[in-house]
This record gives sequence, structure tokens and C-alpha cells, in this order.
Amino acid sequence: MNPPFAVEGLNVSYAGRPALTNVTWAAAPGLTAILGPNGAGKSTLLKAALGLIPSDSGKARFFGQSLEQARSRVAYLPQRASVDWDFPASALDVVAMARLPRMRWWGSVPRAEREAARVALDSVGLVEFADRQIGRLSGGQQQRVFLARALAQGADLFLMDEPLAAVDAVTEQTILAVLHSLVEEGKTVLMVHHDLSLIAAHFDHVLILAEHVVAAGPVAESFTEASIAAAFGGLPGRA
Amino acid sequence: MIGHNTLIVLLGCAALGGASGVVGGFALLRGRALLADAIGHAALPGVVAASLIVAAFGGSARSLGPLLLGAALSGWLGLLALRALTASGRIRQDAAIGVVLSAFYALGTVGLSIAQAMPNAAQAGLSHFILGQAATLTESDAILAGALALGCIGVVAALFQPLRALCFDEAFARSQGLPVRLLDLVLLALLLAVCVAGLPAVGLLLVVALLIVPAAAARLVTQGLPALLALAGALGAAAGAAGALISTRFENIPTGAAVVLVGLVGFGAAVTWSRR
Amino acid sequence: MSEQVNSYSAISKRAFLALPCFALPARAQAVRRVALATTGMIGDLVRGVAGPAVVVDTLIGEGVDPHLFRPTRNDTARILRADALFYNGHRLEGRMNDLLERASAQGKPALAVAESVPRSRLRQHEDYPDAADPHLWMDPMLWAETLPAIAATLGHLLGVTPSPAATQAILARLDDYAREVLAPIPAEKRLLVTAHDAFAYFGLRYQFQVKSIQGLSTEAEASLARIEAMVRLIVERRLPALFTETSVPDRAVRALVEGVAARGHRVVLGGTLFSDSMGRPGTYRGTYEGMMDHNITTISRALGGNAPERGLNGRL
Repeated sequence: MNPPFAVEGLNVSYAGRPALTNVTWAAAPGLTAILGPNGAGKSTLLKAALGLIPSDSGKARFFGQSLEQARSRVAYLPQRASVDWDFPASALDVVAMARLPRMRWWGSVPRAEREAARVALDSVGLVEFADRQIGRLSGGQQQRVFLARALAQGADLFLMDEPLAAVDAVTEQTILAVLHSLVEEGKTVLMVHHDLSLIAAHFDHVLILAEHVVAAGPVAESFTEASIAAAFGGLPGRA
Repeated sequence: MIGHNTLIVLLGCAALGGASGVVGGFALLRGRALLADAIGHAALPGVVAASLIVAAFGGSARSLGPLLLGAALSGWLGLLALRALTASGRIRQDAAIGVVLSAFYALGTVGLSIAQAMPNAAQAGLSHFILGQAATLTESDAILAGALALGCIGVVAALFQPLRALCFDEAFARSQGLPVRLLDLVLLALLLAVCVAGLPAVGLLLVVALLIVPAAAARLVTQGLPALLALAGALGAAAGAAGALISTRFENIPTGAAVVLVGLVGFGAAVTWSRR
Repeated sequence: MSEQVNSYSAISKRAFLALPCFALPARAQAVRRVALATTGMIGDLVRGVAGPAVVVDTLIGEGVDPHLFRPTRNDTARILRADALFYNGHRLEGRMNDLLERASAQGKPALAVAESVPRSRLRQHEDYPDAADPHLWMDPMLWAETLPAIAATLGHLLGVTPSPAATQAILARLDDYAREVLAPIPAEKRLLVTAHDAFAYFGLRYQFQVKSIQGLSTEAEASLARIEAMVRLIVERRLPALFTETSVPDRAVRALVEGVAARGHRVVLGGTLFSDSMGRPGTYRGTYEGMMDHNITTISRALGGNAPERGLNGRL
């Protein structure tokens, strides 16, 4: 059985300084939190595995295949989508872009794909905003639109970079609910998370990074005081 | 009753305006509006070189074909130079555009100075490439403009979905396996084609206006990309037609300038409309 | 002064003796004077009057538009170095005005050829209120009126005034030829349509109505309004021919032909005329006589006159 996501011997550096050193890890199905202090290489892990930044060495495998082969099964939600919010597109237009590999290139979006986009919007609670211009949505709503886009891709593996950062409580609850329902459908979600809250309550597994793997495994075993201290640095006075 | 010449100029300018509006819409969204200015200025040395080469081979310096080919080639070189300058990431795009634009234009001016001393170079009307010579569009020019317009609109229509995805979120498009580099090249090629085609009509100084003004106006008052492109094309075509008609009534207004001025009036109207 | 002569003889006796000897004034010069003319037409005229006493160079070459000519540093040096300067004036060399004024103020013999003719003989310039239409050379007899001033200026240069009689005879012969071969053209066909307004004096002398598409200067773009007006005029008169010019782009004339054809009248390009520039140096058309011969013959043959195919001297 191939793990949905696996890296082997991954080394990444920025301008000569190491960001990730010899990371080897395989994800388990379910909801995994990727934790670590600032600069630990959490975002770097996802970006390097996806080929968005160059790595010095190492491999990444998705369901046992390379990214090109498994592309349709992988969805990535970046930390801050660098898009032009003034772009003339509605929330539905943006989500429908995820259906592009299934559509013909000319003409308007076919009905079936518009429906799939609408369903995705519904699952993040934004179906009433389907026709609103994205520039007129709040920050949290924009984040949910991009989540809907990732959902609309029909992927089996979701890589998310801090989707809960700086969102309001409603958005946070909505997103967590969506993630749980994904897991229930058998999908895998790897999520970089910015702080240590919510871990015990919502996540199945953790990967704790500090430029290298500090700890990895089910929450109960790996999310411990010791592993946290090892990654984030101990309190003053402790060995 | 419209005279034949007026009709030709009207149709030619309308076709160019329409194509420029549509392509300009994408250029605007992609943050590439000023590239049109760079291409226009970078085309000058190519035009001059082409006329010198044609004259050296004893050909007639009159025909537009070789001159436009020269314009396209040096415009493309300008784009390559731009890409090379910004590749390292240490020079920002606006600075790089300024550098390329002035370097090529200066080179072209030197070329003009050399060309003017050669027999029959004045025949090519090289100086008219700077301000345009729309009033003397011939039937074959208009047919070419029409073909170009149809071609550009056809390409845009055929590639509408991936082009939209590219302009909105390039990283996402790439992650979906879209041939992002190829699509970008197609867009650049369209931009180049429309700029070069606009040179005989409005000249290299104003070709950027033909691309930007209708698109900017349309952006203010539309929601949704198909509406933006359609309106930009319509505004561009209308400006082309109206500019031609105006220059029939008033002898002192060059046709190219009239087209751009009408486009600016349209832009003003769009600004007012969007504020209400 | 004597040191100069000594050093010259020190250089080479043979070289010294090879130079032409003339009755030159007090300054012992071993080389011929250089007179610089801006246009070829002026250069040809000056050369005809001066004879071998003076080397006459031309600044603006064949096929180049003097309205648009911008001098390079090299050109500027030539102008300032020349022993005498002959230019047209009345804004023909539109981009060189300051330079020409500066060179004239140097004190050497200098002449604005067109400005030496009394203003009353000239047409008003359409665009500049202080200038006249500068295209004097289109009328051989008007061009001949500049000869006394040219001869006088050459006299200042050489110390003895040469006689312009030979040149005057050539110009008079051209005038006779023109009147003869243009006479058969009927009144309503006596309309000369060209790219720019260079032929007004020609029209005045030989009774032609002259219309152009671009006006007096070649810089401005032809206007659509004007093109339409011209189309109507040409169709009205059923004019058989239009003319292009060597140093001016002919897009406008071609657009005119198309517009006229659309109205069912067939007008042809009667030929290419020399307007602001002569033909290739060293050829017949590279002389003023050849240039005017070509123009007169071409116009005559295109509009219904009886000019022979090989022109006045059989050299076309």
C-alpha cells in the first residue's frame, strides 16, 4: 500500500543556509498537522515536495508515483494566494477553474462542472456568495473560496499551508468541519499549522519539524512535551 | 455617403481597435500593459534595418511587409532582452521596461539618421512609423488588419479557459498541469502581433494606448472576464471607426491621434459611469 | 604668409605644380576653394556658374528629403569648414535653420538662394507666415533669377565675378521645351496631383492647377479629409494620371488611386517626378537639366502632351 505522501532524503537550502536537512517521512491517511517553530521548514517541505522551490536532493512520492503522474490526485492550498483580488471573477468562476483538466478549453464552463463548483462552495458554506466578485469577499470568505477550489479538484491528497492562520472563528469552524468530512471520505490532509492549539482535539497525526524531523506519528505518541520542547527549544533552566 | 478611402480606414482601424482591445484585456490583467509600450519603441530599429536591407537589395522601400517583419523581429528581441534583465530578479519589471524601451528607441534613432542619408530611404516613410499613417491605409492593409483581428480573437476564444486561469493564478494553473510557459508565449505573441499591426495605423508612440485604454475602460464597468473582453473589443473597434470618421471632417487631426482621443473619451465615460 | 609658401615648396614641387593656377588674389592658396550647397539643384546651378575654379559639394544626397534632413556632426563640420555656403532658405532645410544662420554669420560668402529673389515674385508659404514657398527650382525662369546673386557671391569668393550666361541659356531652353510640349494638354486636364506641394511655381508658369495630398511639408501625415476631397476632384475632372515623387513616401498617392478606382474612374500613376531631390549623381537625371527634362517629359506624356519619349536632349 503506497502512502499518500512520502519524502526521502529531502535536503533544501535557501541562499546557502539549510532549511531542511535529510527529511524522510511518510504520511498516514487521515488528518496530519505539520508543526514547528518559525523557520522550521514546514512550508518548505510542502513546496519542495511539489516542486515549487528547488531542492538540493531527495525524492517525493504521491501514492507511490511522481507528481506529474499523480497530479490529478493532489491539491495544494498555499498560505496566501498571490492573486489579483480585482480580477473580474465571481467566487464560482474561481472554484470552477479547478475543473479545468476535465473541461474543453474554449467557450464557457459546462453545466456539470459549474454544478461541481457549486457543490464545493456549498461545503464551505458560501453557496449564497457564488456570484459575488471575489474582491468583495472578506478575508475569511476568500480563504474559504480557495478551500472550495481545492475541494473541487476532486483530489485524494490535500496539502495545506496554514489555512487557519488569521481567520475568524466562524471560518475556522467551517474549515475544520470540511477537513473532518474529507477524512471521513477516506482522503488524506496534511496541514501546516501555526500554533499548538486544536491539535489534540482535531488531528490524527503530527509531524514536528525543526529543520529536521523531531517527531512523527499519532498525536498521542508524538505530540508530547518532550518533542515540543525539542523542537521549540526548552524552557530556560531545563537540560 | 462614405467615401471608399474613409471606409477602408474605418474598417481597418476598427479591426485593429477590436483586436487590440481584446488582447489588451488579457495584457492588462496579466500586468503586462506597459509591455506594449516597450514593443512599440523596440520596433523602431527593426523597421529601419528592414528598410535599409530592402534598399540594399534594390527592392522597393515602399512595401509594408518587410518593414512590419522587421518591427516584429526587433519587438521580439526587445521582449527577450526584457526577460533576460528581469530573470535574475534584481531588476524590477518597470525599470527593465524603461531600459529596454530607451535603448532600442535610441538605436532606432541612430538608424534613422543613417537611413536618411541613403537614397530613397525617405520613400519608406520611416518617420511616419512614429506617429502613424492611418489615413493612407490601402485595401490590402485593411484586409490584413481584418485577418489579424479574426486570428487574435479566434486564438483568445479557443484558449479562453486556460488563459483566464493563467492570468488569475499562475501557480495554480501550473499545478494543474497547464502548459503555463507555452500559454504565456501565446499571449506575448498575440501582444506582439497586435502592436506591430497597429504601427502603420497609430504609430509606435500611440500603439500602447490602443491596447490599454479600451481594456482599462472596460475593466471599470464590467464584472466577469467575458464581458470585459467583449466590451474592450467593442470600445476599441468603436474608437477606431469614430476616429476615422472624425479625421474625415477635420483636416488637421491625424487619424491615429483621433482614434486614441476617442478611446480616451470612452475611458472618461467609463470612469464617470463607475462612480455613480 | 611667406612662411606658408616656403613650407609648401618644402613639401613637394611636383604636387605644387600639379595644382591649377588661377589669377587668385593676394593670399597664395595651393588648393581650390570649396563651395558647399545644401541641395543638388543648388549645387548644379553653382557648379554651372563657377566652372572649374571652385569645387562644389552637395550636402543632401540623392533621394533624400531636405525638409526632414537632420545634419550629423560630420555635416556640421563640412558646413562650417566650407569656403562658401549656398542654401535654399525659406524653410526648405527646415531642420537646419540655426546651423545655416550660424554659418552665414561666420563672415564667409554665403547665400540663401531663394531669398535673393524679390519677395513679390514668390508665393506665400502655407504654414509659415514669414516665409515663401521655397520650391523655386521648379520654374526654370524663376530659378534663373537667382543667378545674378549666385554670381555675385562667387565673385566675393574668387575676386572675379563669373558670368552666368551659359547656365541662363540652358534654363531658357528648358522653358521653351516645356511650353512647347505642354501646350497640347486641354484645359480641364491641366491638373497636377502629386504627393506634396512642390510644384506650385511649375504650375504658375505653365498654367497648371497644382494639388497635393500632404501640403507643403512632407512631415505631416496626409489627412483623410484631404484624400477624400482629392478623390472627388480627380473623378470630376476625369484626370488620367497622378504622380509620385522620389524623395517622398507614396502611400498617399496609392491610396488615392484606390479611392478613385472605387468610383469607377481609372487613374494611373503617370510616373515618378523629382521634386526635392535630383537623380543619381553622374547620370543625366542627376543634373538640374536632366531632372527638369524628366519632369516635363513625364508630365507631358501622362496628361496628353506631345513630348518625345527621350526628352529634350534624347538622353532620357
